[in-house]
Amino acid sequence: MAVLLRNPDIVWRREKRREEQVLQELEEGGDVEDRGTVILLISGMMHQLNLLGGMIWDLCDGSRDQEQIVDNLLEEFDVEREIISADVTDFVADLLKRGWLIYG
Amino acid sequence: MADAITEQFSAPLTFNWTLSYRCNFSCSHCYSRDEAAEELSTEEIKRIVDVLVTQQVPFINFGGGEPLIRDDLLEITRYASDQGLNVSMNSNGWLLNQATAEELKAAGFKSVGISIDSATGASHDDFRNMPGSFEKATAALDALHQAGIKTTMSSVISRINFQDFRSLLDLARQHHVAQIYLHNFKCSGRGFKNREDLDLTPEEWKEFYVEALQVKNDTDDLLISFDDPVIASLPGYQEESLVKGSSCGKLSLHLRPNGDITPCGFIPLVVGNILTDDFEDLWYNSPVLNGMRHKEAKGKCQGCGSYQDCLGGCTARAFATTGDLSEPDPHCWK
Repeated sequence: MAVLLRNPDIVWRREKRREEQVLQELEEGGDVEDRGTVILLISGMMHQLNLLGGMIWDLCDGSRDQEQIVDNLLEEFDVEREIISADVTDFVADLLKRGWLIYG
Repeated sequence: MADAITEQFSAPLTFNWTLSYRCNFSCSHCYSRDEAAEELSTEEIKRIVDVLVTQQVPFINFGGGEPLIRDDLLEITRYASDQGLNVSMNSNGWLLNQATAEELKAAGFKSVGISIDSATGASHDDFRNMPGSFEKATAALDALHQAGIKTTMSSVISRINFQDFRSLLDLARQHHVAQIYLHNFKCSGRGFKNREDLDLTPEEWKEFYVEALQVKNDTDDLLISFDDPVIASLPGYQEESLVKGSSCGKLSLHLRPNGDITPCGFIPLVVGNILTDDFEDLWYNSPVLNGMRHKEAKGKCQGCGSYQDCLGGCTARAFATTGDLSEPDPHCWK
């Protein structure tokens, strides 16, 4: 499968301090689904990705295909491959459609 | 101190960076022409770039003074762009010929803005106290376009152009400009001294914005931008910005030639020095920055239904005219 690449025209940033807070909340059992940790600046608008989305985004550097991204995430999260794989598939499909991710 | 801004942003998105206060022009409205500050060496400037990279600041915009006055501008820009920073600048265009435009492109400039205050050459030249500057500025736009650099045009709205701003839009179109900034007038430096002659009345500002917003909404071949928080108090204004009120101290900061940080170029309050102070400490704990992020409604802002949208308008103008960051923007028409 082709490698995934972030659209180079998109300016983005990992909000490190926020990410630390979200990771801590996650460790304490909190719901962090709606907590943004990566910001994307697109045409003057800001969009946010949550922890998992931000990690996928970070991994889309042109060196990995979708399966390899799943492999990487499984090292971070203790969940079934099928669950992570479904999340990655949905996320990648959405961002490909928006043009925020491209195939390298 | 935890707040909504620093909880969201670990650093500003943009540093507006005055590399030098030196300028080959002497404009009537300039905020910085009468300022002086020691300039940093190329190596010190590179150290600042390193700090910005570490802090993940995505944008830097060189202003001034005239950025092209610095002999090392290309070297600095190359150093910054090689590390992923998005570099732009604002220039008067006088020193920018085709060869320079090609060098700017090679150095990594993402966009370059040229300041033009009137579509009439004589009026622009008179305002800028520089005969021939209009011709040079428009030639600079053409050279940049030819070199493949995105261009913007900066026009400070004042008495000389507010009734004829459409001609500025036409001029921008003629020279392939991607985005025009119709900047609000700031009462800083010479802008403060010449305020009586150049600034509009609050009612005139309102009329200008009502008309200009309509033009913006009807325009699809040119991006028209305003950077004035007071606009949010217009009835029916619906554009979403990343933050309410002034973006200074929230989304952007300003660097003076000696590395001192101020909330913006128009507010002369130094919050620290980027080379000698811990940036994160300044960003999270500076009383000045936190004061800008937590303004309290004063004067006519108290009880005003628009305050939650405009947060008192332009903090720089309020400070310049009253010495208080939280006083109402003198441009406010309400």
